[in-house]
Amino acid sequence: MAQYETDEEKVEAIKQWWKENGLAVAAGLVFGLVAVFGWRAWQDHQENRAQQASATFEQLLAVASRSDADAAAASQLTKRLHEDFGGTPYAALGSLVMARVALAGDDREAAKEALGQAIDEAPDPALADIAALRLARILIDEQDLEGADAILAGLDAGGAFAGEIAALRGDIAAARGDLEGARTAYREALASGASQAQLIEIKLANLPAAG
Amino acid sequence: MLQSIRERAQGWIAWVIVVLIAIPFALWGIDSYFQGGGKTVVASVAGQDIARSDFERQLQNTRMMLREQLGAAYDPALIDDGDLRREVLESMIRDLLLLERSHQMGLRASNDEIRIAIMTNPAFQVDGRFGKEAYERTLSIQGLSPAQFEARLRQRLVGSQLERAVRASELVTEAELDEALRLLGQEREVRFLRIEAAELGSDEPFSEAEIAAYYDAHGARFEVPEQVKLEYLLLDEEAIAAAAPPPSDAELRQRYEAEQARFGEPERRVVRHILVAIPGDAEDGEAQARQAAESARERILAGEPFEDVARAVSVDAESAANGGLIGEIQAGLMDASFDAAAFELPQGEVSAPVRTPFGYHLILVDEIKSASVEPFEEVRDQLVAEAAEQQIEALYYDWAERLATMTYEAADTLAPAAEALGLEIQSSDWVPRTGGEGLLGHPRVISAAFSDEVVREGLNSELIEPERGRFQAIVLRVTDHRDATVHPLADVREEIVAALREERAQRAAVARADELIARLEQGASLEDVAGDWPVSASRTVGRNAPGLPDEVRALAFDLPRPGDDGASYGRVALLDGDVAVVAVTQVIDGTGEDLGPAQRVQEADALGGLIARGYFDQMLADMAARAEIERNLGDAGSGADE
Repeated sequence: MAQYETDEEKVEAIKQWWKENGLAVAAGLVFGLVAVFGWRAWQDHQENRAQQASATFEQLLAVASRSDADAAAASQLTKRLHEDFGGTPYAALGSLVMARVALAGDDREAAKEALGQAIDEAPDPALADIAALRLARILIDEQDLEGADAILAGLDAGGAFAGEIAALRGDIAAARGDLEGARTAYREALASGASQAQLIEIKLANLPAAG
Repeated sequence: MLQSIRERAQGWIAWVIVVLIAIPFALWGIDSYFQGGGKTVVASVAGQDIARSDFERQLQNTRMMLREQLGAAYDPALIDDGDLRREVLESMIRDLLLLERSHQMGLRASNDEIRIAIMTNPAFQVDGRFGKEAYERTLSIQGLSPAQFEARLRQRLVGSQLERAVRASELVTEAELDEALRLLGQEREVRFLRIEAAELGSDEPFSEAEIAAYYDAHGARFEVPEQVKLEYLLLDEEAIAAAAPPPSDAELRQRYEAEQARFGEPERRVVRHILVAIPGDAEDGEAQARQAAESARERILAGEPFEDVARAVSVDAESAANGGLIGEIQAGLMDASFDAAAFELPQGEVSAPVRTPFGYHLILVDEIKSASVEPFEEVRDQLVAEAAEQQIEALYYDWAERLATMTYEAADTLAPAAEALGLEIQSSDWVPRTGGEGLLGHPRVISAAFSDEVVREGLNSELIEPERGRFQAIVLRVTDHRDATVHPLADVREEIVAALREERAQRAAVARADELIARLEQGASLEDVAGDWPVSASRTVGRNAPGLPDEVRALAFDLPRPGDDGASYGRVALLDGDVAVVAVTQVIDGTGEDLGPAQRVQEADALGGLIARGYFDQMLADMAARAEIERNLGDAGSGADE
């Protein structure tokens, strides 16, 4: 910076500088403060919303855990999770729970729709996989083997759920009467660590003898 | 140069710098400058660290939990520390990963949930209701502020929410439930034929090469474990009793006198009374009552029966109805002045009025049962046993302390301690690492006997007290040591030949079984092929039903379903060396028909629970595969703790 001779010159220079830049500085400060506090307010708002969503979801869990779950009440709560708390993970979790309640009330279409929604909105890929596995199981139950096959084909057969996927492929093959295919799939399921190992072994032993 | 810095520091640049520094303080507080740095980290999960101090604390908690669960069976020497450390770390990683992912996903615990969790926690409740003081007190014991505790609780709730969501949303389709009921409830009709291997054996000798091959292939079977010969001093009740002098008769007498009350019954008296209450409102109530008691006494002395007067006068309604009878008393039961009068009074005489807090009593003694005492000779044995027990209690800790000190100070011999305490040095035969007989089989003793200081350095062991709460302590040293070796072939030759014979017989039995199965599959019946071998009766069994040999039942449920009129066959070696040919003639599927709707729901919930647990574990595995996890347990510290 250039050197100034006297104090007056300094004051003069500052005044001059302020005249030229004062507005920009003030605007910058205001903008910065608004950004900082706005961000914090936004975060608080998000936090609040997530907490409310969490409380609503806990209500849904309580409704669903009763043996004669009230499907209407559950559906009401799930709807609220979607409408009021759409951006939170609780919308997808709500759909997962809703599918169970709907299936228990024998409303298969609602159950399938809820699972489809859960797959689309899942906040974590593993949750989407779980929803897809459940959807495939309902389709197998309905003898919609093509549909179930298509869903399993969309999953990562090399990941953590490989065993579960293979086990369902075994169920599909067995339902089609493809005993050899079922046998191969069940063995693959056991090899890749499916959780229901004992039941799968029993299924394997109970396939009719070849030929 | 400094001059120019100074000048500029007064300019606008300085202000810009000050503002830049101030912003983080304003937003995040001063804390952020002190966190991090200097902590050693055992693992990091997606950018979050697990500090070594937290890990060690968790490890310590786990050990304490194990100790509580296992009780006396807990022995740190038996738990592999490395395994435990890894397990604890893995579980901490899993928890942190779940928490981290849940948080990132946007899962939160609401304030209401936290409030409910705190209010319903029994630890914070007083008389079944939440108490703010109990809450604060409990937290301060744990060294937590309410804010810290609530933050932890919030984490726990968030961490469990995903798991609860997966479990609560699990569904079970009708087809799945039917299939599970059908298969798990299945019964099979089974028969089997036993081929006795012993009959198929031969005496043909084995070649040296065959024997050597068996010896080489089964090395572990002929190993002799590491062994030690021990010398030890055992301090127990017997040793103390033997060394300490038995109590003298004088001592026993003294004990007997001092505890007279235990050996007999004190004097008891059956008494009656008449109670006159003191009227509280009258000024001369005291005198009135005394007067009334006196006049009642005079009526009795004049010949009226005590019972009648009691019924008429006594205000103690309960005893009055029984003619004033209180029953049997011994000294100390009643008010002191009542006692004094009642135990002075001769039988059948009425006392003068006696003042107690209740009023004035007239007392009559119906019967005196004099005190009885068991004679010294009869309780002598009991006294001796008690004296010995007290002596052992008094001496044990002192002796154990001296034993520990002396065997530590003279660390290469037991003799001085043995002499000083009058204990005998006992020696053992070879004791293997798997444990010897009796006390020498105790895990604590064995782990001391095979510790480095004792085996390699030849020192005395520390004082070992195998069972807590028993008067038993042992110090040992090793006099001889053998490393693990293998029996030479010559020593085990016969054993090998016997084993080879058995194997050969079983092979023959298996070959015969295969022949029989081939004939069975062509339509022969079990009886046709059995010859002299026993065929079992046909039985229908469930998966877990008892009654068949386990190997037979397992095979029966592994065999494929038979065709309509056929049977499926298989063979299995039994534990005793024989071979069974198993036939499954019919499979009866479970129907679940005997289940009511409520039971069906229960079965479905149980099945759903299992499926959900599998899904949740796999979800965690999936998250772990996606996350960046670093482990840095190292070896530092392992083995140095405890």
